[in-house]
Amino acid sequence: MSPRNLEQVVSAIADRKPALELGPVDICFLIALHIRAEGAGLAAFTEQQLEDVFAQASAAIQPEAEQIRRRATHAIHRLRDQRLLARVDGQGVVRTGEFALSRLATAIVEFYLDEDVLTRASLGVLTASLRTALADVLASASRAETSEAWHETVVGPLEVTISELIAGIERRQRGLDRQQEDFQGEIRRLLEADWFGALDRCQGLLESTSATLHELNVVLLRDSAVLLGLLHDIEERAVAAGEVPAEAAAHRAMEQIDRSVAWGSARQRAWSEYFQYVHRYLRDVVRLDPSRALTQRLRDQLAGTGARFALAHAGAPPLRILRTVAPPRDQPPVVRPRAPREKEPTPEAGEDPQAVLDARVQRALDGGARALSAVTTVVTAASPDSDHFVEAGRIAHAVAQLARVSAAIERPWVAVSATLEVEDWRVNEVRR
Amino acid sequence: MTRAGFAELQDVVLDASFPELDLALRRGRHIDRDDLALYALLTDAQDHLETLYRRFGCELVYKADGYYYLLPTGEKLSRRQLAPGDMLVGQALALLYLDPATIERGGRASVDDVIGQLVVVLGNDALIGAFNPKRRRRVDERIAQKNVRTKIGEALRHLEALGFVDQGEDGALRLRPALLRFAEPVRGLSAPAEALAKLVAEGEVLLVEPDADADEVEEPRFPPGTASDTDPIADDPLDDAPEDPAEDTDW
Repeated sequence: MSPRNLEQVVSAIADRKPALELGPVDICFLIALHIRAEGAGLAAFTEQQLEDVFAQASAAIQPEAEQIRRRATHAIHRLRDQRLLARVDGQGVVRTGEFALSRLATAIVEFYLDEDVLTRASLGVLTASLRTALADVLASASRAETSEAWHETVVGPLEVTISELIAGIERRQRGLDRQQEDFQGEIRRLLEADWFGALDRCQGLLESTSATLHELNVVLLRDSAVLLGLLHDIEERAVAAGEVPAEAAAHRAMEQIDRSVAWGSARQRAWSEYFQYVHRYLRDVVRLDPSRALTQRLRDQLAGTGARFALAHAGAPPLRILRTVAPPRDQPPVVRPRAPREKEPTPEAGEDPQAVLDARVQRALDGGARALSAVTTVVTAASPDSDHFVEAGRIAHAVAQLARVSAAIERPWVAVSATLEVEDWRVNEVRR
Repeated sequence: MTRAGFAELQDVVLDASFPELDLALRRGRHIDRDDLALYALLTDAQDHLETLYRRFGCELVYKADGYYYLLPTGEKLSRRQLAPGDMLVGQALALLYLDPATIERGGRASVDDVIGQLVVVLGNDALIGAFNPKRRRRVDERIAQKNVRTKIGEALRHLEALGFVDQGEDGALRLRPALLRFAEPVRGLSAPAEALAKLVAEGEVLLVEPDADADEVEEPRFPPGTASDTDPIADDPLDDAPEDPAEDTDW
């Protein structure tokens, strides 16, 4: 499966301008429809049934509400607009329609109804199912010889059955997370409602949750080793057979299991910290202040009743740690150079550019060049285009010095390079 | 209690954690179970360390709430007192520590919670007055509020250094049991004044003389001539730059 491009997916969804706006009444209506459908085995609802269910839901949450039918019409309209309720009969205006909850609505309902929480029993059942399913997949992987067989008996089960089972564990883990959040709030509410009286209940709650988390962690650690071993075997067989999709599917399943195990360890750590804190609080604060007078007295103290005071504490200055000092390097004394700074100029033989040019022209003439254009072409061949114009004049001068030349009355223009043309002379004789 | 490994004081001193523990205690840090290695060393070597620090004119104090600290009773080791701003913030933190709402967050609070607690108990004006004691002229409210927030931040950093609270990178505060020291005068069954007198006698707290102006909270006292004592910025009502940190008083 190729990884999805995030920008493309988001843009495509954004183009559809999705929006959801559900109030408590709408959500309760959806839940009521779901429960009614389950209870009565209904695949779809008539309009009358929809209105009846809305009336029931409304009576439960808004007993004093009036104009129920009108409100039901609006609620149904809202749900249809948001694609939560779909008409399934396809009869249009021929007769009153039949409606069913969409996949989105079912997911929303399941979120609210989903009270699956990871327990030792549910985790045990899920890991046992996973073990059995993985053993089957491993056996299939040993037998599979063609790509089709690999896809049908290994990749498919890994991506559907195994992933669903692991997702079941993860969903229950999230349920347990929610339960713990509620539980932390419950301890607070218990203490606020009945300070000292809540002590035993708080401790009971703490210990039961600790025991549950500990058991879950033990089961997760123990069973995950077996599951990862099976997946590793499947991956090895996939690698040996060169089945990349199967290898990737096994790898993804292993990552899912690793994630579940990491969840267990992280929750255990976080809970341990919380457990210690609450225990300390119950012992140091609640037990020592059964009438809960301390808070009020401290508030009065902070408000400024009574004498002002300040806590005393030790305040030794930090030790002075002297840095290591490197001995300074000896600076050489400043002296004046004894030798005279200015040197007498000495003659140096330089290179006469005209002589160099004359030599090159002479070589060209000796080489058989018998026209000014031919000499210029040879001599300027080594120099850049920008110098050709200047050199052309000097070459003409040198040719006139080194050879006898003649020119027709109408001297022809001859190209010597891509950027330069000269009026040509003929070389009659080279001077010796 | 002395564990078998610490038969002699020398064994304690040779422990790898001793230098860190010694420096932390001398700097006024309160050590609880969260400082695992230091707390374990203190618990195991309490007898030896009590004797050692008594020779320096200090008491190694252990509170039943589960923390240790060093309290100088003589003049060999310098003793300091918390600044008024630190005391206000410390008491607000102690109130948060006692609040069951903090339980839900596992003993964590935010700086906003601290400010909210101070506003609820003291009120806006008194809070601004408490943290801007030298501003006698009327000042811009925005500047005064900013100054309060700055000083509360400074107080929190100071209290963190002393082991009363931990400040995470996200700014969340983890409240530590040593905060209950701020509630000591009102913890017992006796009258607060009586309890306070006892704590003063033990050297745990020092009484602070109220200023001539009853509306103001006393600033820390600095030795004459020090920069903080003669800070001209503090009297400038238009200045919104943070003032010098509220250093606690050395005496």
